[in-house]
Amino acid sequence: MKSNLLRGAALALCLGAPALPALAQDAGDTVKIGVVAAESGAFVSAGHTLPAGVGLAVKQINDAGGINVGGKNYKLEMVKRDDRTDIATAIAATQELVRDEKVAAIFGSESHDFTLAMAKITQPAKIMHFAGNSTLGKVLTPEAVKAGGENHYLFQSEPQEFQRSGSTARGVLSLLEPLLGAKPKKSVLVVGNDATGQFLSSFYITALKAEGQDVPDIIFYPPETTDFSPFLTKAKSFEPDVIHFWYNGDSTLTALPQALELGAAKSYFLFGVDPGIWKERGLTADVPVAMSCVPICWGASSNPNSKPYFDAYFAAGAPHGVTSSVSLLYHDYVHFLAKAWEKAGTFDPDKTVEALMSMKYSGVVSDQLAFNETHQVTHATEVCAAAPGGDITCSMQQPPEKAPE
Amino acid sequence: MPGRQLLEGKSSRVTDGEQHRDGTVDILLQQILNGLSIASVITLIAVGVTLIFGLTGIINFAHGEFLMVGSIVTWLAVSNGMSFPVALVLGVLAVAIMGLVLERAIFRFTLERPTNGFIVSLGLIVVLQHVVILFWNANQKSIPRPLTTVWEIAGVRIASVRVMVILMTIAVVVMTYVMITRSRYGRALRASVEDRDTAALMGIPVRRYITGVFVLGSALAGLGGGLLIALFPITPFTGGTMVMKGFAVALIGGLGNLTGAVAAGLILGIVEGFSAGYGFSEWTDAYSFGLMILVLLFRPHGLFGGTSGPKMA
Repeated sequence: MKSNLLRGAALALCLGAPALPALAQDAGDTVKIGVVAAESGAFVSAGHTLPAGVGLAVKQINDAGGINVGGKNYKLEMVKRDDRTDIATAIAATQELVRDEKVAAIFGSESHDFTLAMAKITQPAKIMHFAGNSTLGKVLTPEAVKAGGENHYLFQSEPQEFQRSGSTARGVLSLLEPLLGAKPKKSVLVVGNDATGQFLSSFYITALKAEGQDVPDIIFYPPETTDFSPFLTKAKSFEPDVIHFWYNGDSTLTALPQALELGAAKSYFLFGVDPGIWKERGLTADVPVAMSCVPICWGASSNPNSKPYFDAYFAAGAPHGVTSSVSLLYHDYVHFLAKAWEKAGTFDPDKTVEALMSMKYSGVVSDQLAFNETHQVTHATEVCAAAPGGDITCSMQQPPEKAPE
Repeated sequence: MPGRQLLEGKSSRVTDGEQHRDGTVDILLQQILNGLSIASVITLIAVGVTLIFGLTGIINFAHGEFLMVGSIVTWLAVSNGMSFPVALVLGVLAVAIMGLVLERAIFRFTLERPTNGFIVSLGLIVVLQHVVILFWNANQKSIPRPLTTVWEIAGVRIASVRVMVILMTIAVVVMTYVMITRSRYGRALRASVEDRDTAALMGIPVRRYITGVFVLGSALAGLGGGLLIALFPITPFTGGTMVMKGFAVALIGGLGNLTGAVAAGLILGIVEGFSAGYGFSEWTDAYSFGLMILVLLFRPHGLFGGTSGPKMA
């Protein structure tokens, strides 16, 4: 009899387990949102923008009265964990947020590999998971994201890499052409030789070639390089119209002064460097320099939503950084998720996914934010160019619909 | 080709008026100059490493973070309106004092067990990085170039700030060499390295000398940090990469051997410059550390012979 009771209790627990996140939320007036990001270690520069972006969205939602789900008002609470740029710590933090903190959603990490490991925990637990990585295409297949699929609750809040690279290449070339007085023809890439650099640059070089660029060489440098002069001298030997520094903003800002000293090219492109940093550091050059932000810039922008967002972002205490804009890969999606919960009228993850997939959200980055059938967003990437006189102009070129061959 | 440097201040350049020679020669000469410049920074770090590791036996892997602290102090001073030379002196002094405090408070208790010192230094790396992040965040820091002139001679660009770093490195290395090889202090120090107990019996205050060497090595790291931020922006994580190369140079040249450190720094600089320019650029670090492994295999005491650290009784 006793054993039957125990079996019954165990069965009831097992059957009720999938409903645990929803029960946990309904039990109180607060919904917890987890953030796993590098607040220390090598990725801290991008990592600290995640809790800053999510925290700002949470504050904005709470200040506006919270969210109304199923006729009841809830406040949001951000629970953040520092992964210390260590994948094992990210996994442990995710387990704790899911199991102990009972979060309804997780945002992070800034690293593709970490996100994949975290998804192994969030997806079986039916936790909504948003990651600002451009490279989740291999796991976000139609089969994996369908109801019952292994990544049904995982969403990519950054455009696919061919879109980002395509939008960026178009923006760079279109802004540099009038400043150079002729269309740039020859480009050399200078890229950090790590997994991300190798992977991302393969898309960017394809995007440049699709825009008609002659790309005689791609020069990889060891990560953590500080003296770029040998690499830049090699780049100079090709007499390029544009040297594209791809993808680490900090390395790029280290390399650019050396490139200018060496007179390595007629113009430069700095991926992931905000014009705000350019202005704050009083940087100037006597050749055109293009910069891009992921996804829109705070120092200068063609997007009217940029200024109010970043005013609030910095007023909340976030430092002015090369990668401050990365916060927008998370901020808009907290609002988007809150709207989806309200629309679904429940925190049930399956119904939340349905609501998300049926909605468009007007965010800071775009007024048409929406997830496609494989849970990925599409929007343009902003590029700005500083003329030799110091004037900065920005534009957002739409990404290609399909990946170039 | 247009595109001279104008970053963070005005610049000017002097051209000798000659027509550019064959581009290949220009590139070759530029790469040789690049190699010399790389060598100067690495050598400065290696000298500190070779003194501390080679003469006291303290394996301080946080030496790179000492350098980073030197950069941060220089940055703070310049950001507060001080001139670069004053900021550089402050950076050197601050790191020297930090070295004194850490040697007295921590490293002296690890002298008999160098492995403990090594582990302590690994912990110090994390502590120093995160103290800096706590107060000044993890973002990159830079200062305006103290010298902005770029000379162009026969198609080769020479930045005056790099020349300044090379000249200061030469001056510091020469002064350190003279002190170690010619002064009474240096002779006593070398005697301590040979046999600490006998040196102590002869009246040499060995412990005080070890502290002195540690402070000198720390000051050199502070100087390296100040010069580094004059060349490149830094982050709280800059030290890690630099110290690895510093150790490689110290080991290739021979621990405790200043001449070896300078020669190995030059070799490594030229290897790096040429491998980036003419070899597989992404393997630049692999060439450097591969060379270190080969030297340690075939000449365990380094190319120029070294101390292998002090002999314990």
